[in-house]
Amino acid sequence: MAEIFIDNKRFEFEGPTKVLQFILDNGLELPFFCYHPSLSIPANCRKCFVEAGQPVFNRETNSFELDENGERVIRFFPKLMTACSLDATDGMVIKTHVTSELVRRGQKDTLELILINHPLDCPICDQAGECPLQIQTYKYGPEGSRFEHKKVHKPKRIQLGPRVVLDAERCINCTRCVRFTDEISKSKQLTIVQRGDNNYPVTAPGLEFDDPYSVNTVDICPVGALTSSDFRFKARVWEMSQTPSIDITNGKGCSIDIWTRDNLVMRITPRYNPHINDYWMPDAGREAYKIYNENRISRPEVNVDNQKIKSSWNNALLTTSEKIQSIQPNEILVVGSAYASVEDNFALAKFFGQLGQEKAVFAPNIIEGSGDDFLISDDLAPNTSGCEFLGIDQLDKEKLAAEITSDQYKLIVILHEDVVGRQIVTADQLASKFSIYLGTNKNQTSAVSNVVIPVTTAAEHFVSYVNVQGRIQRTIPAKETLYTNRRLDLEMSMGRLDHFGTQFDNWVTDKNKIDCIPAWEFLVRLAHELNIDFKFNSAREVFQEIVAGTDHFSDVSYERIDSELGVDLANKQKEELNLA
Amino acid sequence: MQNYEFTKEELAKIDKIIAKYPNPQPAVMPVLWMAQEKFGHVEPEVQQLVAKTLDLTPAHVYGVASFYTQYYKEKKGKYVLDVCTSFSCQACGAYDTLHELEEKLGIKAGETTEDGMFSIQSVECLGACGYAPMMQITNDVYVNHLTSEKLDKVIEGLKQDKLPEFEPIPLVQNREPAEEK
Amino acid sequence: MSAIDWKSYTPILIPNIKDYHKIDVYEKHGGYGGLKKILKDQTEFTPEKVTNTVKDSGLRGRGGAGFNTGLKWSFMPKPDGGPRYIAANGDESEPGTFKDRVIFEYNPHSFIEGAIIGAYAMSITTVYVYIRGEYRSWINMMQKAVDDAYEKGYLGKNILGSEFSVDMVVHSGAGAYICGEESSLMESLEGKRGYPRVKPPFPAQKGLWGRPTTINNIETFANVPHIINNGSEWYKGIGASTHAGPLLYGISGHVNRPGVYEYPSGMLITDLIHGAAQGVRGGKKVKAVIPGGSSTPPLRGDSLEGVRMDSDSLREAGSMLGTGGMCILDEDTDMVDFLWRVSHFYHHESCGQCTPCREGTGWLEKTLLKIKRGDGTVRDLDLLLDLCSQMEGRTICALADAAAWPVRYTVTRFREDFEARVKKTVYALA
Repeated sequence: MAEIFIDNKRFEFEGPTKVLQFILDNGLELPFFCYHPSLSIPANCRKCFVEAGQPVFNRETNSFELDENGERVIRFFPKLMTACSLDATDGMVIKTHVTSELVRRGQKDTLELILINHPLDCPICDQAGECPLQIQTYKYGPEGSRFEHKKVHKPKRIQLGPRVVLDAERCINCTRCVRFTDEISKSKQLTIVQRGDNNYPVTAPGLEFDDPYSVNTVDICPVGALTSSDFRFKARVWEMSQTPSIDITNGKGCSIDIWTRDNLVMRITPRYNPHINDYWMPDAGREAYKIYNENRISRPEVNVDNQKIKSSWNNALLTTSEKIQSIQPNEILVVGSAYASVEDNFALAKFFGQLGQEKAVFAPNIIEGSGDDFLISDDLAPNTSGCEFLGIDQLDKEKLAAEITSDQYKLIVILHEDVVGRQIVTADQLASKFSIYLGTNKNQTSAVSNVVIPVTTAAEHFVSYVNVQGRIQRTIPAKETLYTNRRLDLEMSMGRLDHFGTQFDNWVTDKNKIDCIPAWEFLVRLAHELNIDFKFNSAREVFQEIVAGTDHFSDVSYERIDSELGVDLANKQKEELNLA
Repeated sequence: MQNYEFTKEELAKIDKIIAKYPNPQPAVMPVLWMAQEKFGHVEPEVQQLVAKTLDLTPAHVYGVASFYTQYYKEKKGKYVLDVCTSFSCQACGAYDTLHELEEKLGIKAGETTEDGMFSIQSVECLGACGYAPMMQITNDVYVNHLTSEKLDKVIEGLKQDKLPEFEPIPLVQNREPAEEK
Repeated sequence: MSAIDWKSYTPILIPNIKDYHKIDVYEKHGGYGGLKKILKDQTEFTPEKVTNTVKDSGLRGRGGAGFNTGLKWSFMPKPDGGPRYIAANGDESEPGTFKDRVIFEYNPHSFIEGAIIGAYAMSITTVYVYIRGEYRSWINMMQKAVDDAYEKGYLGKNILGSEFSVDMVVHSGAGAYICGEESSLMESLEGKRGYPRVKPPFPAQKGLWGRPTTINNIETFANVPHIINNGSEWYKGIGASTHAGPLLYGISGHVNRPGVYEYPSGMLITDLIHGAAQGVRGGKKVKAVIPGGSSTPPLRGDSLEGVRMDSDSLREAGSMLGTGGMCILDEDTDMVDFLWRVSHFYHHESCGQCTPCREGTGWLEKTLLKIKRGDGTVRDLDLLLDLCSQMEGRTICALADAAAWPVRYTVTRFREDFEARVKKTVYALA
């Protein structure tokens, strides 16, 4: 195995690797700006300087030359090397800022030069708090500047496209954004223009930066040059809590982080997952924060005399159970949804199965050609594969419409699916039936349902989804409901405000907590009303039962999903077939 | 807005240019030159025409056009007088020449006369250090050994659309007898 | 080293022959003879042998870095059937340099012949001749010469009936000094912004379009036919032993007869100034000499005795040969003004790709402007030297070094001029 010595410590490595990536992989620190593991390496920021040397190999003796102390003779490169572009070689010796004064000076010199034309506007800059330039200046930077001239002025507040704003003066020309559009999204909409210290990235004149992945450039911008028009000036980074979750706006299910402040989702950013989305996500997925915040159903609603009124949970439960008791189980149509989680779909099917209706159906929402071959799938729902794997009957839109309008059914129970909004049935068609809607947001279906039960979104409970590749991932609650408490739920994350805010100060209120419960929990309560033996204490228990009883999910656990960034159920299936 | 197009003949010429390289992208610089000769500038619309013609993104063409100083990203005078002020010329009084030219035309370096005839630019080394002070006219002929009288003559000529004649590089070594005869 | 009998030297790169740029005249005087000799007897003149002949001749690159040309050719990997390229560098944009233009005008065919011989030696498929865009007239001349060479069968398929084929394409730049840097030149040729590439990989491994490529200066190639015709021993006998061959000296500035001169390498600087260029204007004293383009450290006028124009002698004197484009500044020259103008150039021409150069060149210029205006302090002089250390050897290409060296050596060698221009340090007494 090849060896490399970094700051006098020996490491082993295999295969070709760049020194900077190797240092980062081993949990060591080396400051950098322009390098990004998924992009090409321009080595232009000149920050990751190291001293690098190689042992002198004597071809005649076929061994390394040794000095009088028996140590290898190391020949150092005459200049400081950029670790990002330097290939690790066997026996290489690296000195970073930890052991080399020269490297410390080189890195500090670069930082001073980067800062001379960088505005001092951290207090009003969105990047502050998560800004590599700010962090490194705090850690390694000069205390003052020797630059006593006018800074170069460049365009500010340029709306590059619908979702990205440019402040060219803050730009340090790392070219990550240009490389992203060239190499990852391939729209090639950005370029660096001008020359020298007038350089900055921009689109061609008159053209918009409307790349469906444009906001990723904001994520990778190491300064505040590119900011999100949507998130700009909305929250400081240190006020928010960050929670791992899944993008639910299409079937790809990108790994994401949900950022909340006072139980409002402020923004959504991609979370690294090499199996699905690498470091990226589509812009559309970031808009999902609106689903979590706006237009929510809070507190159950019941139709009384064709008037929708807010009702207590007890009343909603009673209304529902009375209706169920008044008809035969085979007169109930159970509609699951690819928009709902594995746990909720399973609980729904199981509950009505125990009641005597074995059949549950769902209609996938796939539009051929609407996606791309990157991170937007033709499947608009996050859990189509999950429904399939659970054995929920898959119907097309027309068949589902026929079922709903069929005279056979007197009660339609709908989980999440906006059957009216998706134009599966008309509002009148649904209104002519007694329907119970378990949903998260107000929509055309909830408007005509007789009983509306508010259920939690992916941002409020533990749920798992199976994406189009057959990979199962899960969410962790990012925002509290009226009935959850992040101080008690050890899995929920707590930012500074969550830690230190109270409802007696101006920072934290209760008004953003929604009055809703997970669908499975509603069914547990309903079972209690109906005296059915159907009991779960947590989503984890639901999932454990799924694992125990469904082939596709065998050997899967929340812990495995967490540690392996999701588990591939589709390939597992293939492996088993191969074994058979 | 003007509609910018290449003619059939020009497109055929562009195809020939493309054929000199393994792919069409390297043709971007020659085609920008062609466009500038035809339209007098490479404003954004012209850049877009070049991008369309070569099947490149407009951003790429913009990046390239803005990198090279000889492409006029905005309209200039009919005659652009590029006075070299780099250090060899500077040593031989190029700044005096530049200021004299500015006075004669009533504009500053970087500006264009109101009638759109002349622009003046102070430019970097044009590679005529031995023949300073000197200038280049609209990316074309070099005018060496500038004097006040020579400037007048050149300006008068240009006003009648007469470009100065090409001046061969003066070679002095071992040649003076022949020249003296 | 014996004195060079430069007065009786007969130029070979710019010979005194009327209409030598015309292909018929060039041929009449033995032109394309070297190429014919090689192609006629390819078993004798194998590509390896041609490369070795050039290597043994001691020909060093004339573009500034001065690397052994034949050695550079030998770095090319074995042909694999795919395309391989030469990029001939005619970008000459370094202030003070104006020699390749003379070749385009007076002797294009010796360059073309040299490039074809180089192409033969390295199994090249296409030669791209990159000429700076400002040289419009000379690009046209070069294009005419290339067209003529095609017509006569020196270029194209099966040259002179042999199996050897090579194409030559003249490519115009558009105003960017950085494109004279070899990897930037390749980027520019590929139709991109001229950003220098990170090395390794070197051009011989991965050059134009990812294929093996060699970049040589125009003047370098123009020397090659003479080496093939007369042998490496003959060539080695011209001029300085470590930097053999004739050089095109471009002499500019405050001299009576500026211009391009061809003499053997290793000429005494004093001979060039007072002999060839017929002395300083108005009989003034020399204050400074910039020996090889603006990036080479200036020498003081009182330190020129015995300094020769070859890389060893100039290194000893504290400078470099560079491109051989000399600028002579007389005693009245304002060195602060001079240095500001040089810094302005590098600030203007920095491509802006990497930090130390993008930011440092601007800072240098702004500081020098401050000193020029009389607002500078002694601290600014130290800051200038500090900035040089922050730029030298810290960037992808050598432009930052080129910008820093003149500042470092002008400020240290002409410190009195700078101190005279800065404010006196005043200490307030409590």
